[in-house]
Amino acid sequence: MTGYIVRRMIVAVIVTIGIAAITFLLLHALAASPANAVLGEKATPQAIAAWNREHGYDRSLIAQFGSYLGDLAQLNFGRSYKLGQSISALFSENAGRSAYLSGASLVLALIVAIPLGIAQAVKRNSPGDYIATTLSFTLYAMPSFFLGLILIQLFALDLHVLPALVSDNITTTWGAVTHPDQLLLPVVTLAAVTVASFSRYMRSSALDALAQDYIRLARAKGLSQRVVLTRHLLRNACLPMITLIGLSIPALLAGNLFVEVLFNYQGLGLLFYNALGNEDYPYLLAYIVLGGVLTVIGNLIADIAVTVADPRIRLG
Amino acid sequence: MADLGAEPLIEGVPHFGSPNFPATAPEGGEVQVISSGWKLALREFFSNRLAILGLVIIVFFVLFCFVGPLVYHTDQTNTNPLFTDLAPTGGHVLGTDDNGFDELGRIMAGGQTALEIGFLASFIATVIGTLYGATSGLAGGLVDGILMRIVDVLLAIPYLFVVLVLATKYSATVIEESLILGLFSWQVSARLVRGEVLTLRVRDFVVAARLMGASRRRIVVRHLIPNALSVVIVNVTFQVADAILALAGLGFLGFGLQYPAASWGDMLGGAQNAIANGYWWLVYPVGGCLVLVVMACNLIGDALRDAFDVRLRRR
Repeated sequence: MTGYIVRRMIVAVIVTIGIAAITFLLLHALAASPANAVLGEKATPQAIAAWNREHGYDRSLIAQFGSYLGDLAQLNFGRSYKLGQSISALFSENAGRSAYLSGASLVLALIVAIPLGIAQAVKRNSPGDYIATTLSFTLYAMPSFFLGLILIQLFALDLHVLPALVSDNITTTWGAVTHPDQLLLPVVTLAAVTVASFSRYMRSSALDALAQDYIRLARAKGLSQRVVLTRHLLRNACLPMITLIGLSIPALLAGNLFVEVLFNYQGLGLLFYNALGNEDYPYLLAYIVLGGVLTVIGNLIADIAVTVADPRIRLG
Repeated sequence: MADLGAEPLIEGVPHFGSPNFPATAPEGGEVQVISSGWKLALREFFSNRLAILGLVIIVFFVLFCFVGPLVYHTDQTNTNPLFTDLAPTGGHVLGTDDNGFDELGRIMAGGQTALEIGFLASFIATVIGTLYGATSGLAGGLVDGILMRIVDVLLAIPYLFVVLVLATKYSATVIEESLILGLFSWQVSARLVRGEVLTLRVRDFVVAARLMGASRRRIVVRHLIPNALSVVIVNVTFQVADAILALAGLGFLGFGLQYPAASWGDMLGGAQNAIANGYWWLVYPVGGCLVLVVMACNLIGDALRDAFDVRLRRR
């Protein structure tokens, strides 16, 4: 068990270094030196060369990558010259609101998807199952921004019950938490897209579990349907969800990007969008590193959590 | 063993290899010609109603986008400032957009780029992924380990973000956009093909081919790739769907094809203002087309996966 975790962690570190290498190469290919961003487009070649020498951009690629890795290890993601701020500061300023958006929609998605998947499996091939499957298939094929547009039309423009955009006054994570009406549409949009994929997995995993002998035994003992479902089925059918949550991090980040842009919610995704327009490559690549590291950590935690939760894997 | 059946064991009795073997026709019951795996899979696929629905949708959109403009003539290059944001009428079936382009004609044009880029990007990704996965699986050992760790790294990097960053510099044409999308989405097919190759290369028919002196190239081209093809084909359909969705995302954020080329994502870029002004015809038809095409690809992919999966097959 410990050996397994140690081995998984070593692989995670190697993959993280690989992510850093690729983003470093991308950054180098797209914007080898931020000198132009600092000194302006009309800077003389001498001034640029001097700036590069001063900041170490004239060294060999390997040496530059070495210091890039060293900086990353100290959580120094470099500097956004367009915004005149260190990227770590930008991250810590905005990460809370993005994490709240992702976290709230992930929790909401799980609350909906787990019972929905189980209900679909128990009442499989019923009209309700068909309706839910059709709905999740449609949502699965729908970009989050299009779903968001439909919800804006419905709840903001037609019914006038929710705001179409998140208010500019929401500047802190606490502000986002204490104004649920502002965040409801973004959270529901992101959650609905996630439910579409989660409920399909949950349905098939519950179907697998329902066919097992222990369910038949529980029924044969005369346990009520409720006890069979909550005590015997739920825990076993939820095991694949652990892996799925770990794997859903890239999708959540992408969802964050579109939802934050659509609802004008100040977070890391909206910053990324603005950086795209400004061609602020240090921020863009730093965000990709962050996304990659979160993906690796998510997979690692999911792998470990599955071994903890499932004795067949832990002891087998 | 090698010359089994080369000579008749009993004179006059048809033997394995002789023209009229077997001597007697099978009799009784329902006797069927044993179909090859491909025929079985195809039959299974076409008996799936959702698969047919998906195929019909795709065929409809191919005709709609590529033949439609020949029937329904519109000008998609010159803006028309006098006729912007017109509601649907007889002349403009789905109205006009902010630039005075006919919306129905623009959906057709955007559909063309979506289908072209979707198929081209998934083709690029599949070719790279198949070759990479086959190489890795065949090489084995240290090379395989290194190649697969590279795939792990590339899988961990959020695909959409890399594509967006590259799209700030190179996304003007259909070819460029397909290359960007294809070059960063081959990892899953590489992994699938490697897995198939690992199980196939120890199978008897591959061992036999190797013992008969077949070259490595021949084994790959004649035995491994055709047998690994089913997983690849299933993956291609999902990849088309992913590429079309990613393209729509790029367009929505404003980093898609260069104007005046049309794409569905670009058309949804101004959708927020359109719905605020009540111009529903600029949002829902194009969004509906996008959802239908992506859903059709997913339906076909699911049906193909079921059809190729021997365990799920009814016969």
